[in-house]
Amino acid sequence: MKQLLSAKTTSSVLYFLAGIFIMGGIWALIAKLTKGEIPDPSSTWVVFKEVIKQPFQNDSDQKGIGTKLLSSLGRVAIGFGLGSLFAVPIGLVMGSSKIAMRILNPMVQILKPVSPLAWFPLGLAIFQDSPKASVFMIFICCLWPTLINAAFGASNVPQDHKNVSKAFGFSTWKYLSKILVPFSLPHIITGLRLSIGIAWMVIVAGEMLSGGTGLGNFVWEEGFNGGNTAKILVAIIIIGLVGSLLDRCFTWLQQKFSYAL
Amino acid sequence: MSTSTTFEESTTEVTDRILSQVTQPEISIRVDNVTVSFKTPKGIYTAVKDIDLTVNKGEIVALIGHSGCGKSTLMGTISGMVKPSAGQVYANDKKVEAPGPDRGIVFQNYSLLPWLTVYKNIEVAVQSALKDLSSAEWNKLVEANLRMVNLWEHKDKLPGQLSGGMKQRVAIARAFAINPKILLLDEPFGALDALTKSAMHVELLKLWNLDNREKTIVMVTHDIEEAIFLADKVVVMNNGPAATIREIVEVPLKRPRNKKDIVHDPKYMEIHDRLLGLLIDKFSIDDER
Ligand SMILES: Nc1ncnc2c1ncn2[C@@H]1O[C@H](COP(=O)(O)OP(=O)(O)OP(=O)(O)O)[C@@H](O)[C@H]1O
Ligand SMILES: [Mg+2]
Repeated sequence: MKQLLSAKTTSSVLYFLAGIFIMGGIWALIAKLTKGEIPDPSSTWVVFKEVIKQPFQNDSDQKGIGTKLLSSLGRVAIGFGLGSLFAVPIGLVMGSSKIAMRILNPMVQILKPVSPLAWFPLGLAIFQDSPKASVFMIFICCLWPTLINAAFGASNVPQDHKNVSKAFGFSTWKYLSKILVPFSLPHIITGLRLSIGIAWMVIVAGEMLSGGTGLGNFVWEEGFNGGNTAKILVAIIIIGLVGSLLDRCFTWLQQKFSYAL
Repeated sequence: MSTSTTFEESTTEVTDRILSQVTQPEISIRVDNVTVSFKTPKGIYTAVKDIDLTVNKGEIVALIGHSGCGKSTLMGTISGMVKPSAGQVYANDKKVEAPGPDRGIVFQNYSLLPWLTVYKNIEVAVQSALKDLSSAEWNKLVEANLRMVNLWEHKDKLPGQLSGGMKQRVAIARAFAINPKILLLDEPFGALDALTKSAMHVELLKLWNLDNREKTIVMVTHDIEEAIFLADKVVVMNNGPAATIREIVEVPLKRPRNKKDIVHDPKYMEIHDRLLGLLIDKFSIDDER
């Protein structure tokens, strides 16, 4: 059994390497075709090593990539945290009450398709501060997936479970904590996972608009304005790695909270 | 002197009570002209119609009928899960408007909460139904009832890790644990093997005896032997739609009943044949169609 497992991991590592290899090939080819306009993998690697040399440098004029990453993550964490804090209870209320659903759903449907970036100027107008405006934007874009999924979960609590609650006279609190929330939890986590994915995409765009310390700013100022395309590629790789890591965390949570019915 | 008067008083009181029970037994459940219709996409479907049924306090009643005839629906009107379209149901002298912990239910599909362990499933029910007890008393109840159904060793498992029969026993322990005046059991032993089933029959009767036979039990079953062994009367239902009560068969066998001896009792065989006739009669009609 153990051997089988290691054989499986070996093969998945091999497939992963094959994928990297193909990607690298295409990348190198594009580099050649653009005559170095897009730097090839090896010169990008050189820039990459240089960029991560002093990751947590935090001087006023020079900040390391780690510092920028952390500051982006911090904004995402605050926006996502606040957004979830609102979205989960509102979603559960919407899913549990037909009236709440009818009142809130039209608003959600109208606001949900608005591009998160459209909220940025509004945030700027409210807070007069561009990093705060980025957080505000994250907050808004984290609301919808969580809210909708929480509402879906809550509205699908099986009649059997509700009957148990009625038959044994559960208090409202018992119903919430022992039936509604546990049943909705997998759905809520799905919503959180979608939200964090969007948030991570949006933060880069937001920081490109807003400036300040962050990955988006790194892409814009040092990469584009600095004429260093390799830095853009480095940033893309780092953003991708961190994004997939975040996704992994929530996939793990999802598995942890799924029950055999 | 004073003691003797109280003694006299209490004896007359007791005789009065016994007399009143003989002449006019206390009614536990009264189903009064109940009809239940469901709205379906294809129109209104009447499951049961004009059901009248009176169950006295301390009686055990078995409900028998073919699948889909409306047994669970009728049970639902007593538990308060199903609202009658016409008529009303009284339980414990109160009109049934909603479910309540005075009526313990074993659901046909167990209805355990899949994210709670066996122990927690019962604990949460006990805490909700018996709010005034201390947590030590709650724990004692949970343990006693889990031991009764032989699941104490499995108390930390989730329902998904149990077999069908084990889930059913958890559901039974949960209903018993809240010690309701009325027990409503919807095919409570359906998923059990013969041996476990027999043991559960004994436990059910033990529980009933413990409570001075004051607990009223209504159970749905497909098992004629089980119905006769446990019940004071067997309610046989017609096939739906608009199922009615076909016949109520009394089971005047003396208690305590012994599983082995009872089957040789001529009265037992007579009731058995009667019930079989009522059910098989319908098979033949079905065949002719
Ligand atoms: N909520 C509902 N909506 C529509 N029809 C229903 C509903 N509940 C029950 N019925 C119908 O009522 C009839 C009786 O159902 P019920 O569950 O009471 O049968 P039953 O006698 O308990 O059957 P079984 O022995 O298989 O458990 C069935 O025809 C069923 O389709
Ligand atoms: Mg049924």
